[in-house]
Amino acid sequence: MAKNIGKYGALLATIMAVAPFCAAQAQDAIKIGFVGGFTGYLAPYDQPTLQGIELAVEQINKAGGIDGKQIELISRDMRSDTAQAAVTAQEVVDQGVQVMIAPCDVDPAVATGQITQAAQIPTIAACASTPILPGMVGDYMFANYTADNLQATALADYALEQGYKNALVLLSRDTPYTEMLPRYFATVFEKKGGTVAATLEFKMGQQDFSAEVTKIKELSPAPDVVMTAAYEPDFPAFIRQLRSAGITAPVLGSDGIDSPTTLELGEVAEGVVFSNAGYPTPGSALEKFNADFKAHFGEEPSAIFTATGYDVIKVVEAAVKATGGNLEGPALRDAIDNLENVAVATGSITYKGMNRVPLRVVALNKVQGGQKVHVANVTPNGADVPPAQ
Amino acid sequence: MAISAYIVPQATRSAIVMALALAVPCALIGLFGSNPMITTVTNFLIMLIAVSALGLFSGNSGILSFGHCAFMALGAQISATLTIPPALKKTAFPLLADPILQSQFGLVMALLASVLIVGLIAYLIGLAICRLNGSSATIATLGLLIIVESLIVAAQGFTRGNQAVYGIPKLATWPVALAFAIGTIVIARLYRDSRVGLLLRAARENHAAAQSIGIDIPAQRQVAWVASAMLSALAGALLAHFLTVFSAKQFYFDLAFAIIVMQVVGGLSSVAGSVAGAVLVTAAIEMLRRLENGIDFGLFQVPQIFGLTQIGLCLIVLAILYTRREGLMGFAEIDRFLPFLRKREELATEAAAPTQARPTGTLTLEKVSKAYGGLLAVAEVDLELRVGEVLGLIGPNGSGKTTLLGCIAGTHAPSGGRVRIDDIDITGHPAHEVARQGIGRTFQNIRLFAHMTAAENVMAALTQRWPQLGHAELVRRSRHLLDELKIADLAEREAGTLAYGQQRRLEIARALALEPRFLLLDEPAAGMNESETADLLGILGWLVKDRGLGLLVVDHDMQLIMRLCDRIAVLNKGQLIALGSAAEVQASRAVREAYLGRRHAEVIT
Repeated sequence: MAKNIGKYGALLATIMAVAPFCAAQAQDAIKIGFVGGFTGYLAPYDQPTLQGIELAVEQINKAGGIDGKQIELISRDMRSDTAQAAVTAQEVVDQGVQVMIAPCDVDPAVATGQITQAAQIPTIAACASTPILPGMVGDYMFANYTADNLQATALADYALEQGYKNALVLLSRDTPYTEMLPRYFATVFEKKGGTVAATLEFKMGQQDFSAEVTKIKELSPAPDVVMTAAYEPDFPAFIRQLRSAGITAPVLGSDGIDSPTTLELGEVAEGVVFSNAGYPTPGSALEKFNADFKAHFGEEPSAIFTATGYDVIKVVEAAVKATGGNLEGPALRDAIDNLENVAVATGSITYKGMNRVPLRVVALNKVQGGQKVHVANVTPNGADVPPAQ
Repeated sequence: MAISAYIVPQATRSAIVMALALAVPCALIGLFGSNPMITTVTNFLIMLIAVSALGLFSGNSGILSFGHCAFMALGAQISATLTIPPALKKTAFPLLADPILQSQFGLVMALLASVLIVGLIAYLIGLAICRLNGSSATIATLGLLIIVESLIVAAQGFTRGNQAVYGIPKLATWPVALAFAIGTIVIARLYRDSRVGLLLRAARENHAAAQSIGIDIPAQRQVAWVASAMLSALAGALLAHFLTVFSAKQFYFDLAFAIIVMQVVGGLSSVAGSVAGAVLVTAAIEMLRRLENGIDFGLFQVPQIFGLTQIGLCLIVLAILYTRREGLMGFAEIDRFLPFLRKREELATEAAAPTQARPTGTLTLEKVSKAYGGLLAVAEVDLELRVGEVLGLIGPNGSGKTTLLGCIAGTHAPSGGRVRIDDIDITGHPAHEVARQGIGRTFQNIRLFAHMTAAENVMAALTQRWPQLGHAELVRRSRHLLDELKIADLAEREAGTLAYGQQRRLEIARALALEPRFLLLDEPAAGMNESETADLLGILGWLVKDRGLGLLVVDHDMQLIMRLCDRIAVLNKGQLIALGSAAEVQASRAVREAYLGRRHAEVIT
């Protein structure tokens, strides 16, 4: 045991000895911190995000950096724990980062943001989709991912375009995503002349949707469209039971069902339309990103979060260019806040006039014969997006 | 009520040492450490409050609880609601009543409110949960956690539902957390050795034995349950004021498991264990997460490996539990390793042993029956036991002896008939109330409070019987009783480590602490050799002659029964078939038939 203590002591001594050199070497670099949940429940989101970020950093550095400045990435695991996020964020801030990337869930993102807000370091939540997040922290906090209200607006616009008048909304209060996204949809749909025939609630993991399906069947007139943000295992159970009850109304879903499971559902999922953060149409930036990703990591991107992670660095790049290399917090913050049409992997991003929740492309996709088929890329009108709640 | 029965000197010294051992390093880090270090220490202190709070209930009652996480959630909700600025509150909690919406309280008021409200809620829930035993109680606490989380999510408008509560003032700074952590471990440590802690630990060690000395187990659990719930609420509220943002899922299974792991690694049944567990887990995480980020050794580099912290922590926990099954501290407090904490209490000048009037009364059984479905285990038995006499109860295996004993002691409810002491009807009373009426008992397989010292075994019974006695008096009387049974030199030994004969003596000493009128002895000589049996006979004779107790002795050792008993009752198939002196019973044909079968009985006749 004593021997082991000696060994760890040596390790710690080494770290302490090496750390100052690392700091010194990076005087002239742009330091970006990423406090992420690389283990725990956030790992499926923050790990792919990190891959995308690493790819972007490497590409930019290889091309000579941003206006000659190399990017140094400091990524630290907060183990999907809010308290640890605060500790880790403070440590990363103490290493002198100029931009912070926050984890994928609201609580740890806020904990991170409170540290960086106080230190006046612009912070971007890579994939948290709750649009109220920036407002919860302050003027240095930005969202990056397709916000729930943006996605809902795209879906509502699509529904109205298709001539659906009468919608049924299915939500679950178990998470903000499964609750608020359908609520935002209902808000836009009604504001633009549609009617929400009924709002039904389910419990995540309930498996048996017979009560909900019966209620839908009894509706008169029958709904033109069914909208939900349910995902696995609720969505497959729901749509099977819906279709076997003979209800043929089209179903709209959100990016939660952008997974192979949905494509493998067969006949019942045929025609389901869902939104996500981007579709790699031929010649698109996303197609190029996917190819670059495969060349770099030797595998296909596991989730769209790889591309949205890449986007964050492209946003930082655009902001640093806009300030002319000024890395002061207030200057960078204002630069990000005024960005317009930044070309990123998933399309383009605009922060100007959006209260730090970006306007970006929403892709609409359709399940057809077990394949994901692209329907359209839409960028909703900023004025239509309902206020965050 | 003697305050010294609650604040025991040794526990006080132990608590002060622990508080200092905690306060000094934490204060040094607080004053001179970097921001991340201070944040880590503050988080550690809040977790320590949560772990000690859980330990106060689980450690002393032996019931693992997931429900304390629910109390943390409620504490956090209430405190957050009271401290969030009114402007933000209007959008966050639109359904709240106006007076709450428009007011904003400081930390002290908010903590006080959350602790008191949660205490009240815990009291009501405890009425149900504290009646359950073992794993059913644990499952009930699991249900409590799930229900509370669901209610918080469903009560959107009053709460934030599934969304994050934010804008909570950051009031839980390190001095605040340190002060409350010290307060919590002092309370937990004092509670453990106080008379209520002693009674609950007795119940943890052996349910039936605790009842046999009159302990109302649900009532004792209730005390610990409410106290620990209030401390959990404090921990939850502080966590909210430390994180400044939380959602319902923050206080769910992950946190419940994290707290339980700390408690189990440290030692489930010890306050020092709570501290050790929290320190060890925090220190391990801090060390491992630094290794995780990759190290450059010059010659070779260890890359950044995410997950090393979790894996390493799991391995450390496994290694500790593999080598020390009861956690780092087991059942021990720091007192065991620091002899100066244990210095003998100044005992009150040796007064004369409490003079006891010789007991009076008669225990009467009238047509007592016990049926299990169609089987009549005890059938209309009439018996009388007077003080100062020894009544033997014999019969072949399965004749209903132990069942009859249970009907008297209150562990079995008779299906018919009455049990009285003089004119007081005790039929079907719960075991602890029967004990309080003056009926002590020992068990067929000795039931001691194994992880408590011999002295504590007796003191538990004493303090149960005489709640007003102070600690010094409890110690003195317990020594006196142990001395009477010739085991005074073993007072500080753990009961479970005593030899068999010593354990039997301790069991009798514990029963005597109640000053019973009657003593029920279930096979007291089982498994004893000849000299041990002779020894026992001496003790039992003394109980009757000098103390004037009435004994009811069940045993298979005929020699012992014949020598000891004034009268002998014989049961067969639940029926009383003979009652009389040894000679009369020996002469009874029915008795011989019962033991030997009809044909053999005839041959002998």
